[in-house]
Amino acid sequence: MVQAAIRVEGLRKTYRGVTALDRVGFEVAPGEIFGLLGPNGAGKTTTVKILLGLTWPTEGSAWIGGIPSRLPESRRRVGYLPEGHRFPGYLTAKSTLSIFGRMSGMDGATLKRRIPELLERVGLEKWARVRVKKFSKGMVQRLGLAAALISDPDVLLLDEPTDGVDPVGRREIRDLLQEEAARGKAILVNSHLLSEVEATCGRVAILRSGKIAAQGSIADLTRVAASYRLVASPLEDATLEALRSTGALVERENGHVRLSVRNVAHLNELVDRLRERGGQLTELSPERSSLEDVFVGLFADAGVRGPEES
Amino acid sequence: MKALAANIEDVFREAAARWTLVAYFGLSTLFIVIFASAVNLDIVNGALAGARLFGKPVEMGSSSLDLDKLVLGFESGFSAFLFIVATFLAVFATAHLVPRLQEKGTIDLYLSRPVGRVPLLLSRYLAGLLLAAVNVAYLIGSVWAIVVAKTHILHPRFLLSGAVILFTIAVLLAFAFLVGVVTSSTGVSVMGTYGIFFVSALLVTHDKIEAAVSREWVAVAIRGLYWILPKTAELGRASVEIVSGRAAGAHPVAPLAYVSTLLFALACLVSACALFRRKDF
Repeated sequence: MVQAAIRVEGLRKTYRGVTALDRVGFEVAPGEIFGLLGPNGAGKTTTVKILLGLTWPTEGSAWIGGIPSRLPESRRRVGYLPEGHRFPGYLTAKSTLSIFGRMSGMDGATLKRRIPELLERVGLEKWARVRVKKFSKGMVQRLGLAAALISDPDVLLLDEPTDGVDPVGRREIRDLLQEEAARGKAILVNSHLLSEVEATCGRVAILRSGKIAAQGSIADLTRVAASYRLVASPLEDATLEALRSTGALVERENGHVRLSVRNVAHLNELVDRLRERGGQLTELSPERSSLEDVFVGLFADAGVRGPEES
Repeated sequence: MKALAANIEDVFREAAARWTLVAYFGLSTLFIVIFASAVNLDIVNGALAGARLFGKPVEMGSSSLDLDKLVLGFESGFSAFLFIVATFLAVFATAHLVPRLQEKGTIDLYLSRPVGRVPLLLSRYLAGLLLAAVNVAYLIGSVWAIVVAKTHILHPRFLLSGAVILFTIAVLLAFAFLVGVVTSSTGVSVMGTYGIFFVSALLVTHDKIEAAVSREWVAVAIRGLYWILPKTAELGRASVEIVSGRAAGAHPVAPLAYVSTLLFALACLVSACALFRRKDF
């Protein structure tokens, strides 16, 4: 069994009696991009800070690569991009990477090779000798990503990685993260941009008031329970009536039919009825909502849970 | 070691970029230039025949003075002056090191590296002390070189006063770091450290203050404060004693003054490290 690159178990954090985190737990495997979502104050940043040993949990534990996060050794293989980071303005892009690389224990020869390579990767190769104070927000963000990657870490913790970056840059960062994940890195993305998370992450956890309100793969979370999209021909009104007679909710929409069924057996029964009446199945797929719909739904009604498998 | 060296380099780069280093050494250079141009000595057969200060002749009396004694007296007085100038400049130039480190968005970048919190804080302390040491060496070395060039008299003991000055800076910097960790404010660090410098200097007369107060517990508190706080007045006197080669006052500086001052610095550093280690960011 592959050891989780990031493991969080029963984390609780209280600040002067206020609970910021309440029994939060999740795991991120090597090669996986995991999204941590939630509104402001939900506990996302606190979770990341505990993982980095910036703050201490009241209860529970966190591990990075199997090492407790309270130990500095756990950060040997971690790259971190904080939200609203402030790289010293007096440093150039090159010296920033050099200083933070050496703080990660890298030697001069490796840095000499790695710095130009990374600056090129984040599109800052022409700005290597320019002071950070001259950089735009998007450029600082790219530099932050390069600084997070400087020691070629196994784990990346990224807080709002595309903040201030233009759409083209976002796409580039997304591609870069996918490449890093393909190379086996575990990536934890903390973001407000749900569309970005949806396009980048395989699994997410949604935090609400310090608790995990929903957790799972994007595919599972966005699946509308027991609702399917069906395209078939011919699809006459009589056929639809036959399907409805099984107790299913059948609605004709633009070029397809929306089916709401009790369970998978019920869905198969509908397919059988369709075929009995000469219908040729062209497409049958579970209906999906967007991650934003799921997110808004969770916060609009505190009683709503994440979708379940039928 | 790589992380430590990177931290020290960062502190020096920051000092240079924020003009702290330029101002620090600029002020020191200004002081040296004024000193070099202000003092002019006329030496005849190894004795001082005349002297001018800021271009104006100094009244020498009828007989010429022993130049060696004059230089020694001058250097002793000057070491006391440098004690104040160098310590004040050092506190001013280094008090920001912890508050700036603890700024939101900055501390995350440093603590997310595989460096322990205590080594991180101590490396910045060491960097601050190195910065001060370079400046003290520059100030004292330059003044000494000017005196040698003008009088051809060498008193290496003058250079030793730099060690006392650096010790004092190390103590005050430890206190500035403690205040910085607690308050995250450069202003409070600077004011608090200068405050400690002055209060402890006043407490050198604690015997007289204790005799003047009417309540016993106040006297005990004043005596306690005297022994807890660094002995800045005694250290200033010690730098003069080292240069002159004798006790400047009726009571030479006791070793206990150094020991209690060192303990104060250690207590400040240990407390700063303990608080920084446990702090939530």
